[in-house]
Amino acid sequence: MNQSSEFSLRNLLGRIGFWFLILLILFYTLFPFYWAFVSSLKTENEVFQPATFFPENPTVINYESAFQNTQFTQGLLNSTIVSSVSVGLALVVGSFAAYALGRLEFRGKTLMLYAVLAMTMFPQISILSGLFEIVRESGLFGQLSSMILTYPIITLPFTVWTLTSFFKGLPAELEQAALVDGANFFQTFYLILLPLTAPALVTTGLLAFISAWNEYLFALTFTTVNPSAQTVTVAIALFSGRISRQEPIAEIMAASVVVTVPLIILVLVFQRRIVEGLTAGAVKG
Amino acid sequence: MDTSLSTERNQTPLIVALISGLFILLGIGALAWLGLSIYNDPTIAAAQSAEGSSNGSVILSFLDTYGIILPVLVIAIGLYLIFLGIRINARRITAAVWGKQVLLWLLILDAYLLAQTLGNELSAPGTYQNFLPALLLLIGIGIAGLASLQWLNANETAFIGSETLSSRSSRIAWNLLIPTIVILIIVAARPLEQTFIASLTDERFASNQPVNFVGFDNYAQLLGVRIDVLPQCVAGQTIAGCPEVLETDETGAPITTFPRARNYLDQSYSDLRFREVSIITLPNSQVVLSARDRDFIQAIGNTLYFTLFSVSLELLLGLFIALVINSKFPGRGLMRAAMLVPWAIPTVVSARLWEIMLRDNTSGVINSALVNVGLLERPLAWLTNNDTQIIALILVDVWKTTPFMALILLAGLQIIPSDIYEAADVDGASKVRQFFSITLPLLRPTIAIALVFRTLDAIRVFDVFQVLLERRALSMATYNYETLVQSQQFGYASAIGVTIFIIILVFTVIYVRALGVNTE
Repeated sequence: MNQSSEFSLRNLLGRIGFWFLILLILFYTLFPFYWAFVSSLKTENEVFQPATFFPENPTVINYESAFQNTQFTQGLLNSTIVSSVSVGLALVVGSFAAYALGRLEFRGKTLMLYAVLAMTMFPQISILSGLFEIVRESGLFGQLSSMILTYPIITLPFTVWTLTSFFKGLPAELEQAALVDGANFFQTFYLILLPLTAPALVTTGLLAFISAWNEYLFALTFTTVNPSAQTVTVAIALFSGRISRQEPIAEIMAASVVVTVPLIILVLVFQRRIVEGLTAGAVKG
Repeated sequence: MDTSLSTERNQTPLIVALISGLFILLGIGALAWLGLSIYNDPTIAAAQSAEGSSNGSVILSFLDTYGIILPVLVIAIGLYLIFLGIRINARRITAAVWGKQVLLWLLILDAYLLAQTLGNELSAPGTYQNFLPALLLLIGIGIAGLASLQWLNANETAFIGSETLSSRSSRIAWNLLIPTIVILIIVAARPLEQTFIASLTDERFASNQPVNFVGFDNYAQLLGVRIDVLPQCVAGQTIAGCPEVLETDETGAPITTFPRARNYLDQSYSDLRFREVSIITLPNSQVVLSARDRDFIQAIGNTLYFTLFSVSLELLLGLFIALVINSKFPGRGLMRAAMLVPWAIPTVVSARLWEIMLRDNTSGVINSALVNVGLLERPLAWLTNNDTQIIALILVDVWKTTPFMALILLAGLQIIPSDIYEAADVDGASKVRQFFSITLPLLRPTIAIALVFRTLDAIRVFDVFQVLLERRALSMATYNYETLVQSQQFGYASAIGVTIFIIILVFTVIYVRALGVNTE
């Protein structure tokens, strides 16, 4: 785009070229979903034929068998439980910490801020063996609670960091007014600041939920001995067919579509907020 | 702050003295408990009395059981309790209000321990011989703590002075931070410490072998590399590892041969189990890179290769996309939403989508398209072919994260004031010139942060490698996982974890230094 130095040429072709680029970008981002959707409507046999862009005889049989696969449905349930609990915990505990870091002055604050920031980039893989031992010793190996215990490393620092910046952005007069009216710190927190940050809580919660829902490393490691505690990501990675011995590709695609659709809806609904939440930290730097 | 009030100071009320005593007693108790349990610890005693025990193994068994964080915390809390007790006895108001807070957390801890003790007793009666004393002690502390808290709440006037605003603010702040700190210690600091301690041992899961302290042996094994130069075999000269008579091709000319590294080099090469990682052939010699753990060195190579190419492609492509959509056009919101979708779906799902698209015959849409267009003669086995498998992973990763990169860069583009461009237009600067002298410099902080996050993510890549390649090619993270879960080598896997941690740390520091990232 920028290369064309001929102004008239730009005017002539600019519009067409621009929309062509937009379509190209959309095609690039969305084609794999289209492919998954098309494949999920094909029969297992058709999937192994040379690729076609439309199914010959669209069928929902793959969705039926995906939902009859207990590993998959159990995985959906497990993921919902684990992600909700760990996000709820992160929001409650994290909003306390964020209030302290965003609104209060105290010695050691800078250090804590750095610690939290460092934690948001913490490589989970490097403590895998330490956590593995802690999980084994506490008897949680192969249980849902092993993930509820460990997911805060993913959700909590992120929650604290994001909410801190939201708390910082609120005007300082709020609390002073509340304090003048005789409210204590906790009343100010619950009655005044928390309602104001509700949109931020929703955004942060959503982002944390997505990262917990998508987690794979811990889920895979801690549930190797107990398939019934697998989350949906592990279930999809280890998907095995009930009938055919061959990898049930169409069924995997149906399951992938099922997992993806709720996320697409969430993203469409909260698009503006998500972008704001994601980029808040990045562009201020 | 209350020195001027010394004249008002009469006899300390009995209850204040008692509460102060409770604090001091709890502090001493914490220290004594730590000391006693270390002194009585069976594994440490065993390590001490074991035949040929070294200081190393005693220290190791101490670290293995207690770590460093836990004892330091207990000592700090114990000393703080004693300090608070003394200050409460002196009737400082600050000490009293901090004391109340401490009591509250102690009561929560006490209730937790009580529930745990009772739960243990109910599930396995009689296994814990000190059950009754422990129970009574916990109940006693609970009652004394609760009573003290009640009294302190009701009788703040018994103390001298009033709490300053800054003390109040920092007291509330630390209270609010305690849950987060406790959770982060449990899920991050303690596991990191345990990983580091275990990395100094040869511990394995499901093994009856005693655990030995091996120092940095695991790291020496992991990172042991050497570079050697091997000469070409010459007929008539005796070079170690060369055949007596060189093989010849059809024309009778000798085939260029080099000795195997383990035959040519001294005994230590094979003793330490070095194996060739890569060989560069020069006109008359070969340069051989060998490693003690070939898999890990290859994993580092794979990971760095993956990181370098995926992050740079994402940056270029992301910048391009951001520039395209950085103008107002109908449907822009929808466009942003569409771009968020690849970011939002699980990496595992995206890996499986691409696995299907990359299938090795014409049922894979990529192969089918490339063959139809004529770019490929026959379908490629993208994911099993050594040359293409990491390229395929880079494609998958670029697809998944470029839109996210584009959105971050877009946000950065939008805070550049438009009047700068208008001024540049007036001055007659070309668009290309504007891009390089306005957009790029002003976008630098955003690019820096996006690069840091993406690089750190790419270095620890696990999901795509694990799902798409399994064991065919390893990243550092999948190698760590294999060593831990499949081979159960706890000590060795821990050393890998620590190594990854250090590599990521080094990258962070380099980036922060080079790009001047501001953390605030």
